[in-house]
Amino acid sequence: MLKRCLLVFCGVLCLLTCATGSVFAISAEQKAMIADNCTVIREDLKKVQRSDARARVYLGGKYELILNKYVTPLNVRLVENSLSSVSFIENQNTMASNKMKFANDYVEYQQRLEELVSMDCKNESEAFYKKLEEVRTKRKKVEQDVKEMRNSLTKFVELVGKLKETLNAKTK
Amino acid sequence: MRKLSKSEKKIERGGKNLVILGVLSVIIAMATTGVALAIYHNSGDIYLDRSRPGFLPDEEEIEDENEEKDGETEYVFAKDGNLTKEDIEDFLKNLNKEIELIDAYEKPFGSDVLSDEHLGITGEIKIPEAEAAESVAE
Repeated sequence: MLKRCLLVFCGVLCLLTCATGSVFAISAEQKAMIADNCTVIREDLKKVQRSDARARVYLGGKYELILNKYVTPLNVRLVENSLSSVSFIENQNTMASNKMKFANDYVEYQQRLEELVSMDCKNESEAFYKKLEEVRTKRKKVEQDVKEMRNSLTKFVELVGKLKETLNAKTK
Repeated sequence: MRKLSKSEKKIERGGKNLVILGVLSVIIAMATTGVALAIYHNSGDIYLDRSRPGFLPDEEEIEDENEEKDGETEYVFAKDGNLTKEDIEDFLKNLNKEIELIDAYEKPFGSDVLSDEHLGITGEIKIPEAEAAESVAE
């Protein structure tokens, strides 16, 4: 009985090891590709790094502008006009935290990308691919942050639309 | 041999002190620059600073920035005053313009650029542009 249990346990352990190992496993062909295309891959990654810096500066600037020139002044004015609502304040907080998350995740992503660019892909192709997977995960996080920020912007526009209707009804 | 007077000794030491001062100031300058660079790197500002080599803005971007400045007067939403329907209409119009500019940025941080296909890890072996040009010339 004990032997059987041990056998099953070993089997499960083997399966789990194989499953987790396969996540980062790369084929011999891929390894060769990385080593052969090393220079080109690094050039491509540097290009990505530059275009990402542009995207970060552009989007970060726009988020900052919307928060400082639209969201905050409107909330202050709503309070002054006794029209303030919880949803507007909640939305402002969500936007601010999303912006912060975007900035922090971007720094983490760029740090990993820089590590990847400085790696010796010719001789350490397997480690290079593993790091590339890590960079992809971090990049996905940043992409998700951009989507979340866009969602809070949509919600803000909806809230302003509702406010417009309220003001419309008041004037009638 | 004549004994050196106090003032003469001071002058002799002064030269040495000057050298020590010079060396010390160089060391301090290097240390503070190192600390500043470490902060610059660890804070993540290095990833945003487009004035560093290789990150300078493109010519078209500079033109775009100028065009923006030459355009209409900047919209400012006042923090005080009575809030009217017209104010909100104006606000929405300008806000939507900004959002359109955000949406105009195509696929920011999309996953395709780091895919195996894009990096040439699954496809055929790529030849670097410089090497390709050389082989063509030959």
